[in-house]
Amino acid sequence: MPRETAPSLNEKLFFQKALEENLRIDGRAFDQFRALELEFGDEYGVADVRLGKTRIHTHISAQVTAPLPEKPFDGLFTLTTELSPMASPAFEVSRPTPTELLLSRLLEKTIRRSQALDTESLCLLAGQKVWAVRADVHVLSHDGNLVDAASIAVIAALQHFRRPDVSVEGESVVVFGLEEREPVPLSMLHFPLCVTFSFYDLGGGAGEEEGEMRVLIDATSSEEMLRDGGCTVGMNRHGEVCQIAKLGGVPVDAVVLLNCIAVAGQKVREISDFVKGRLESDRKKRDKGGWMEELRAENDRVS
Amino acid sequence: MAVSMERFVLPGESLDAEYLPSHPTLPLKLGPGLRHIPPNTITPTVAGQLCSDKRKNAVWVEFNGGRYIPTVGDLVIATINRPSPEFYYASLSDYAPQATLPNLSFEGASRKTRPQLQPGALVYARVSLANKHMDPELECVSSSTGKSDGLGPLNGGMLFTISLGMARRLMLPRPAEQGRVVVLDEFGAAGVSFEIAVGRNGKLWVDSTSLKTTLAIGKAIQETDLKGLNPEEQKKLARKSMKDF
Repeated sequence: MPRETAPSLNEKLFFQKALEENLRIDGRAFDQFRALELEFGDEYGVADVRLGKTRIHTHISAQVTAPLPEKPFDGLFTLTTELSPMASPAFEVSRPTPTELLLSRLLEKTIRRSQALDTESLCLLAGQKVWAVRADVHVLSHDGNLVDAASIAVIAALQHFRRPDVSVEGESVVVFGLEEREPVPLSMLHFPLCVTFSFYDLGGGAGEEEGEMRVLIDATSSEEMLRDGGCTVGMNRHGEVCQIAKLGGVPVDAVVLLNCIAVAGQKVREISDFVKGRLESDRKKRDKGGWMEELRAENDRVS
Repeated sequence: MAVSMERFVLPGESLDAEYLPSHPTLPLKLGPGLRHIPPNTITPTVAGQLCSDKRKNAVWVEFNGGRYIPTVGDLVIATINRPSPEFYYASLSDYAPQATLPNLSFEGASRKTRPQLQPGALVYARVSLANKHMDPELECVSSSTGKSDGLGPLNGGMLFTISLGMARRLMLPRPAEQGRVVVLDEFGAAGVSFEIAVGRNGKLWVDSTSLKTTLAIGKAIQETDLKGLNPEEQKKLARKSMKDF
């Protein structure tokens, strides 16, 4: 059975002393994300996010099914997360860890329950046929901060995804292939992202005293192992908070928490702009210059 | 230098006799990564650079593998997991079987004066028993002389993870010439004082007077390892990181 990694005493003490001197082991500022990379696949709805050494692959797919009987006008949207032993030896097949539960739960709360995807627009025939959109989140490599990276991956992939066009005449639904008609993007209401804060209680501050708390964002896995508490804020670029999850850990002052939310808003705006830029450059790459160019029979062959 | 690196080998290929050293008196010594299949076939078991030493009549494969496999005589940095009446249970690498460190295998240790190690403490130890079917055993004292030879608990400092190949390069007798690692020499030449311990299990322990120096040295080694920097780039990196403190 794999044994959970535990940082040694020397690492713990060194980390604590470094925090007291306002240093981070990898040399970042306390409120700095690692290098964020986002790539889209050849297919629509495939996004690959890299946050330092953390890497997440997301694939969106859609198919036509019958709606739930209690919600005949709503399409379906499901989020599935998978943490395989490939991501880290701590994960075992078919034995969900708390990390995995937390990841799927927080994504569900942030993206699905906040109605980021307009499920009513996925309805084709009321009570009979709707689109079922499915987002598969695969964690390829785990080096901390899975929730933030996964939320970026899902939101980017959902914006990148195109579903096949359909025409509804009476009771019959015709689904056109991607070559027959231009596929249509999903209707999104807003783009929520998560920002996770890690709290470190340096002690010493008794009672009302403050300032002995350090708050880091985008913690690596070793920083996550040493933290005294964490808090995940899900919000969109307009500053609307979708969820706050603080599951146990050290008690945090309200002012610190409010400050976290302000920082989260700023980070979400930055990341949203980054995702938007990447989507735009991907669109340009795909755009061959209008229909006439695309329908040309000439080959690009070099003679 | 008697060591020659001749060719790149892949596991399972057959080695011609021309690549193996021959010596009039000494028997041929096979090092890590090679396997003898009787009567007279030698095949590599890993991918890497085939190296041979004519003087010692030895041949081995240099490779940068991911998983540490304990070998007798290796110096390692172990983390103590829990004590027991006879042993400390220590881990050499994550998700691997635990190694045992007998309570009395420290310099001058007796039942009354053995060191008390907390769970999570680091020790610099030598692998004294390594067997495919048994948990490895460690020692912090030379069994022949009774001296510690620098082995024992490591206090303070910081632990960094490096690749096994880098650990091996750092532990060569002359790392600058043989392993092309000059970054530590560069720090030393500038008058930075630090203490360092390299474990063959891919661990590097660094301690110095200030946190910034410790971090800078650890990160310089990690960066050299990760990006495969050549000596010139290592010197530049060392000078750049010394500006910070």
